[in-house]
Amino acid sequence: MMRNLLLLVALATVATCRPRTLVILENVLTKETHSSFLADLGEKDTDVTYKYATDSSLTIKKYGERLYDSIIVLAPSVAAFGNALTPADFLDFVDAGGNLLMTASNKVGEPIREIAAEVGVEIDEAGTSVIDHMNYDVTDEGDHDLIVADDFTKTKVIVGDSPAPILFKGVGMAADSDNPLVIDILKASQTAYSHSPDQDILEYPLAIGSSLLLVAGMQARNNARVVVLGSHDMISDAFYNAKTQTVRGATKEAGNRAFASAVTDWALKRNGDLRFGAVKHNKVGEEPSDVAYRITDDAEYSITIEEMQSGKWVPFQAKDVQMEFVRIDPFVRAFLVPDAAGVFKATFKVPDVYGVFQFKVNYDRTGYTHLYSTTQVSVRPFRHTEYERFIPSAYPYYASAFSMMGGLIVFSFIFLYHQDKPKTE
Amino acid sequence: MSSPSICEVGSRLIQEYTTKTPQKLKLIDAYLGYIMVTGIIQFIYCCLVGTFPFNSFLSGFISTVASFVLGVCLRIQVNPANNIVFKDISVERAFADFIFAHGVLHLVVLNFIG
Repeated sequence: MMRNLLLLVALATVATCRPRTLVILENVLTKETHSSFLADLGEKDTDVTYKYATDSSLTIKKYGERLYDSIIVLAPSVAAFGNALTPADFLDFVDAGGNLLMTASNKVGEPIREIAAEVGVEIDEAGTSVIDHMNYDVTDEGDHDLIVADDFTKTKVIVGDSPAPILFKGVGMAADSDNPLVIDILKASQTAYSHSPDQDILEYPLAIGSSLLLVAGMQARNNARVVVLGSHDMISDAFYNAKTQTVRGATKEAGNRAFASAVTDWALKRNGDLRFGAVKHNKVGEEPSDVAYRITDDAEYSITIEEMQSGKWVPFQAKDVQMEFVRIDPFVRAFLVPDAAGVFKATFKVPDVYGVFQFKVNYDRTGYTHLYSTTQVSVRPFRHTEYERFIPSAYPYYASAFSMMGGLIVFSFIFLYHQDKPKTE
Repeated sequence: MSSPSICEVGSRLIQEYTTKTPQKLKLIDAYLGYIMVTGIIQFIYCCLVGTFPFNSFLSGFISTVASFVLGVCLRIQVNPANNIVFKDISVERAFADFIFAHGVLHLVVLNFIG
């Protein structure tokens, strides 16, 4: 009886295991100024824990395992985290597969800058802002640092289908040009630059134009995601409810709320996560078995791929997934065609080479997790009885071989029954 | 005395061959001639058409070459002029070896010809 009860409790905890998110707030005011963002976060299927940045009980790792699946840091100007947490701890967290979403502002503190620098995003110094003299909002207070941005990345899985222009007031970032993992989620317009509004410009700014990033993302090779929002205010209630109007443009509703929700979904891996299920391969017309393939056989391969959309696994639909049949080098590369249930199939002819091959699906697209599946099979050469027979161009050779035998028989008869003619004098 | 020219050597060879060679050996020589012609025809065919079923070409060609070799062996062993060397081997024994070797040869040829 007790055992059954215990089993039931254990099953219940496993079944309701939701992703855990930690939200680190700067101070008590953040809960008020960002109440809509936190409310939206509460709607997402995740267990949220709130802590303050300087809280002495702030832990992200316990007994060698990370305590949360994602951390949202809404503390741009914190000088040092509580409980002696260093940027290295946050990077350990990302290395362990945890996601990170951080905001920065004109008063960005060193810890946030260090964490961003380690993932390939350089945040400009505290005191600088993104200034745009051509695209500032009409409610700007004179420095032209309240700007309207709409140069979103084309990757729909990160920002949604057609995001509306957003209001931005904060610090700019530059991506490390050598880093292939950084994604430009929101770029500044061509006329923007990053500098302190009060000082004369005597040096080249950190970045200008579309090299200047307002929102930067990075997906690590272990599929952990890091997003840095250059403006802490862009996810505040005030900006959610505002309207954008550039000096020359029309008034529109600010797209901040939808953008923040989409980017948070991506950062928390509620969007754009891929996983594969059953991999099936067999000779055409037969059931899958462990028997080796033979050269020039017809083979078919299928893999089930699912995508996470808004927290739910749905069948993945894409036209560019490929399968390779590799023995050191790929001998066959075929497109996989999906059906409605997300089962990707391809049919191909096994090459005329024998050996140990692998079916490889290596799908790496911006915004999606890296999908890598490999299945090893053997391919054997022809058996003695499987070669082509009675080849027309070889008929002369067949004829010669049989004529040798025929000649042998005739010769043997004559040789055996030959009698020397009696010698006549 | 001048050394004989190639024409003289050739005509003397033909004359001695036709008169002095026993009938049996001439029989074997005719058989060998037939084998050589089939081998040459096959080789020319391969040069013209290419080596596509290479195993078939090899099989057919080796069949002719090996038959030729076995024929030559039979001729040597049966030649009365070599009786001193092959005292213990009678004509029947030579012929039996010949047939046995041919059996093995044709088995292999048919297997390899594909």
